[in-house]
Parts: sequence; structure tokens; C-alpha cells
Amino acid sequence: MSNDTPTSDHQALVPLAFISPGSEVRLASLGDEIDPHQREQLTAYGLAENRPLTVLQQRPMTVILAEEVELALEHSVARHVWVRR
Amino acid sequence: MSGTLSIPGTYLLVGHPNVGKSVLFHRLTGAYVNVSNYPGTTVEVTRASARFDRDAALLDTPGVLSLPSRSDDERTTVRALLNEPTRALLQVGDAKNLRRTLTLTALLAELNVPLVLALNMHDEAAARGVTIDLKALSEELGVPVEATVATDGKGVGALTRHLADARAPRRFLQYDKAIDVDIEQVAAAITEHCPHPVLAARGLAILFLGGDDEVAAWMRDKAGQNFAHLVALRQAARNRVEGDLPTLLARERTEAADVLATSVVSRSVKSSPLLSQRVGQAVVHPVWGLPILLAVLYLIYEFVGVFGATTLVGLLEEDLFEGVLNPAVTQFIEAIAPASWVSELLVGQYGLWTMGMTYALALILPIVTTFFLAFGVLEDSGYLPRLSVIANRLFAAIGLNGRAVLPMVLGLGCVTMATLTTRILHSPRERLITTFLLALAIPCSAQLGVVLGMLGSLSFKAVLIWALAMVGVLMLTGFLASRLIPGRRIPLVTEMPPMRLPIFGNVLKKTAGRLKWYLVEVIPLFLVGTFLMFSLDKLGVLPAIIRAGEPLVSGWLGLPPEASAAFVMGFLRRDFGATGLFAMSASLSPIQAVVGMITITLFIPCFASLMMMVKEQGLKTAATMVALIVPFAFLVGGLFNIALRALW
Repeated sequence: MSNDTPTSDHQALVPLAFISPGSEVRLASLGDEIDPHQREQLTAYGLAENRPLTVLQQRPMTVILAEEVELALEHSVARHVWVRR
Repeated sequence: MSGTLSIPGTYLLVGHPNVGKSVLFHRLTGAYVNVSNYPGTTVEVTRASARFDRDAALLDTPGVLSLPSRSDDERTTVRALLNEPTRALLQVGDAKNLRRTLTLTALLAELNVPLVLALNMHDEAAARGVTIDLKALSEELGVPVEATVATDGKGVGALTRHLADARAPRRFLQYDKAIDVDIEQVAAAITEHCPHPVLAARGLAILFLGGDDEVAAWMRDKAGQNFAHLVALRQAARNRVEGDLPTLLARERTEAADVLATSVVSRSVKSSPLLSQRVGQAVVHPVWGLPILLAVLYLIYEFVGVFGATTLVGLLEEDLFEGVLNPAVTQFIEAIAPASWVSELLVGQYGLWTMGMTYALALILPIVTTFFLAFGVLEDSGYLPRLSVIANRLFAAIGLNGRAVLPMVLGLGCVTMATLTTRILHSPRERLITTFLLALAIPCSAQLGVVLGMLGSLSFKAVLIWALAMVGVLMLTGFLASRLIPGRRIPLVTEMPPMRLPIFGNVLKKTAGRLKWYLVEVIPLFLVGTFLMFSLDKLGVLPAIIRAGEPLVSGWLGLPPEASAAFVMGFLRRDFGATGLFAMSASLSPIQAVVGMITITLFIPCFASLMMMVKEQGLKTAATMVALIVPFAFLVGGLFNIALRALW
């Protein structure tokens, strides 16, 4: 599942934790550093490849809007969620 | 859960957490189960007769974030699927998030059980510009689909009628060919060695390959020694694929759900975020979050601590009970009692009426009523999951994540129920630490009210010292526990449900249900406790206990010797003990009051929560916790006695 390096479309992937609030991004991949069960949990919440996500805030946690669902992720997880601007 | 196949035909309500299953259950059965606006309200199954078919049972199951099951509440749902004679599944989904709903449908379809899909909270979806082509979705799935708003009953009648047309959903996903071969091999082995009377072997095979422990345990039980063959097939399948097999299976379901959802959902452009979204973001805002939390706590203090514990208690205890009822009852009993010990038993110092009923009805009842009302509003507003975001950093220091805030806050209502709710936590380590902290430093509503009432009438400083002592003990013991208990901390990932205006009727229903529980559980215990105190007093044991406890209670804690009686009462219920101290508050100095309340708050948890600890953690762990808690309570109380006498 891990695609921690830029892919063939030459667009840089950046960690979700670095995205400014208000930005809309697309999910690229969930890093292998995330616990497998938690990766399953994120997938179940709807975080699948190419899904649009809106970053609502980064402090005290990363809060995103995926579809109509608000999710809060600790930075230690959001650092390993790779997104494309 | 029964675990038997005795009831012919059961309808199972299944779905993600916080999609309204329990509200729908109430609509379909008339039976009320606790309903709140946060995931994890239901941690056990609830069974009731269905209104639409009195011969059938309807089961409310805990929400599943995903299947295969990983958490205790998800395992409970899988056990229900495995053990019930399921007539049909009623899948409840969030209309705002059809993709997620269909990800679960993709798996349920493989179980080949008749299904009806309720897309609930349709009003919220519409407010967000989400429209679903229900007819097209129904055709694609081959099952009835109904839009519902369970809170006001919309669509529930039609949903009931659809249950007669429930059919097994059409599979809308073809797994990767290589994986599909493995699924079919395992399914064939299940059909041979452990066929299920209701669930299709293929669905069980997918759950088993996905690593569902509950399905594996069921298969081990049914297949006996042939289970080894199934395990070997699973291992071979895992070795064949590149990557993690459960993740691959889950990803394929998600992709299929995505495709189907995209084909039936349309979205209109929203002009601006809804008010509920703005409020929801404000309460977890890095700047505004904390002031809002403090404001919420202050309002609760004013409502429970001042209005409930001071105004209402004053009206009930001083004006009604002490002023009118108790003198009248005493006069009446003394006039008709055949012997003096009978009147002492009923209306004496340790009288069933003057102590037991007066404590329960005049001191505790107004406090728990106001607390349950305030708590119900908080539960239904959607604030509690956001509290877990605000508190996450604090909980990280004690090896937990913010999710533990839910059982902790529930513990302020009732530690017994909160101990059960630790099931929503993901690891045994988190559950162990949280259960210990609940037993040690979280006062239940009755006790909290007594503390606020007693210390609040002294000064705000007294309340603050007590609160800081509790937070300090919680953090210190949590920190030590997290270092001593092996395992690692799981970072927080949580959904935040929309903020909603609480429905007054639901808050009242919940409060009434909890008060009923309180009256049924607490009054008998208070009466038994009072009778115990009366007997100990009459047998001369209580004075002996008071004398024996003097070095500890008077010497170390600096309390009057009679306070020993409160600690004896505390063995039955902490709030009973706290009430005992409350009753003697006139003879306590401010330091004594604070020290007494700190000690009794940390003291042994009540009998009911002790039993729940044994149930959830086992006898040995529960006994170890109690053996640590009792001396620790006296140690901390004594240290505060020394410190406060030096500094007050």
C-alpha cells in the first residue's frame, strides 16, 4: 500500500499534516508506518486513493472533511497520509 | 447475547457507529435504549419484540466501523450474525456518506442474507446538497432502499413494509481473480467442515481471510481438527498476495462502493458551511476550543453544583425532609412502634428513613437528576467526540488517546456503565489503564454532586483544591500505569459527528431511564448500608471500628473519629460514604472537608462497578486494583492533610 515516493504523474506527494487549513487535496496513499488496523480504520472512514479531502485545521489535531464526514487525525498519523495538491 | 438459535426469526439492525440504529430500534420495537450523538453508545446487543411482527425479535447491535471485526463492540456484532437465526438484516447507513455505507453492504451481500437498506439522516444529507437516486440504488443492489429520518419517524412505516420484501443483495464486487480463487477454496472448505445454517460460506471465507477472530473462533469450534486445514488455506492465500490480504480485500470493497455511490449520488454546490459545521469547528478550534470548554464546565457547575446540590438539596433536605417529613414520620413511628429499637431502626441516627431514604431522596436524587439532564444535553449535542480532540494531548501523557475521554466523562455519570464503555477502546492496554483510572479518580454523578455541594458551600478554593488533586492523581497514576503496563499507545483517529441541537424529549427519556436505574439500584443499597450501620452500632462494633480507625482517620487524615463510619459506608458505595461526610459537614473544618472528600473520592469504587471490573478485567486484575486503590486513597488524603495544614 505504501507509495512514499512521488509517482509517475510527476506531482509531488506531501504529508497531510503539512497542508494549510482551507486547502483541498486528493489522497495518494496511506504510508506503511501507520498501524495496519488503523489503516483499515482510515479506509473504512472513506480515505481511499484519489478521494478529495478538505483540510479544516491542523491544530490541536489535523481535522479533515472527507465527503460529509469530519475526521480528526493525530499528527503522527497525518504525517504518513500522503496527498496530492 | 443469547448465543442460541431458540427464537425463530430475528431481524438484525446493523450499520456504522452513530447512524441512528438505536433510534430506529426504538421506533420499531417501542423499547428504549440509550441514544446519543457519539459513536459507541451501544456496546452490547439489545433484543425486543418487533412491533411489525410480534413473533420476531429485533436486535440492536453495536456499530461496526468496518468488518472483519477488530474491536470488542464489532466482535459483539459478528457474534450476533453468527449465532442468531437471522431472518433479515436491516442495514442502517448515513445518507450523507453513501460510500461508507456501501462498503459494508459489499461485505454483507457476500453473506447472502435478506437485507433492507435504510439511508438515515436523510434531512442532514439534503441540507448538505446530497441527493441519492434511491430507485437506481435499489435496482443495483436488488434490495429495498428507504430514506429515513429516524428521529422524527420519517420513512419508518415504509421501511417496515419493505422488510417483507427483503432479499439477499446482488453482489456488486468481483474481487481480484487470484484472491477470488482463494476465497472460493476457503468457502468450499467451510461448506465441507463447518457450514453455517444462515450465512453463506463465501461471506464467512472473506471474513476469515480478512482476519476476523470471532469468525475464526466459531469455525474452530465447529470444524474441530479440520480447522487446521482452513488455517493452512488462509496462510497460503496470505503468502500468495503482495501486501496485506485484509487491506487488499478492504480496498477492493471500498473501490466498488465508490463506483456504485458515484453513479447514484449527485451533489449541489454549497454556498457556505452550515451553522452546525461552524459550531463544530469552533469547539475544537486551537484558540476558541479551551474557552468554550471552560464555559461548558462552568455552566455544568452552576446547574449541578449550585442549582442541584445547593438550591434543590436545600429545598428538599432542609425544608421538606428536616422541616416537615422527618419530624412527622418520627412522631408517627414513635407512637406506633412496639419497641424502642424498632423506632431507632426506622427513624434513629442510623434509621432506614432518617438516614437511608433521606440520603437517597433528599441529598442525592436532586444532584443526579440535574447531572443526568446536563449530561444528556452534552451527549446529544455531539460535543463529547470533540472533547476527545481537545483532550488528546493531555491523555497522551498517560499513554492513552483522546478516545478515552468518553468513558472518563461517562464515569462522571456512572462508573459502572463507563467501565462497560471501555470496550470502545482499541487495545487491552488502553482498557486496563482507563478502567483503573475510572475506579480510582473519577467520581460518579452522585458523589460529584455531594462533593460540589459540600465544598462549593465552603469556597471556590476548596472545590479547586479537590479538582486539582483529582486531576493530579489521574495524571500521575496514569503516567505510572502507562510506563508499567507493556504495550504502545495508539494515536487518535476519530470521526466527529455533526453538532446537533439536542431533542428535549430524548434528553428527558434518557434522564428518566437513568433515574429509574438510580432508584432501583441505589435505594436498596442505601437501605442495606443503613441497616448495616445500625446493626454495627447496636452490636457495639461501630464504636470499636471508630476507635480502631482513629490512628488512621484522626491521626493521619486529621478527621474527627466519627468519620470512620463514613469510610465503612464508603465500602458499600463511595457516594454513600461521601454523603456520610456531607451529613457531618457542620462539624468539619474546611481542611477536614477537603481532605475527607479527596480520600473518599479516591476510595474503593462502588459494589456494582466492582462487579463490572471483575466482568471486564477478571477477578485477579480487579482484586489487584482494589488492593492498590484503598491504601493509596489514605496515603493521598494524609499527604493533603499535612500539606494543607502547612499552607492553608
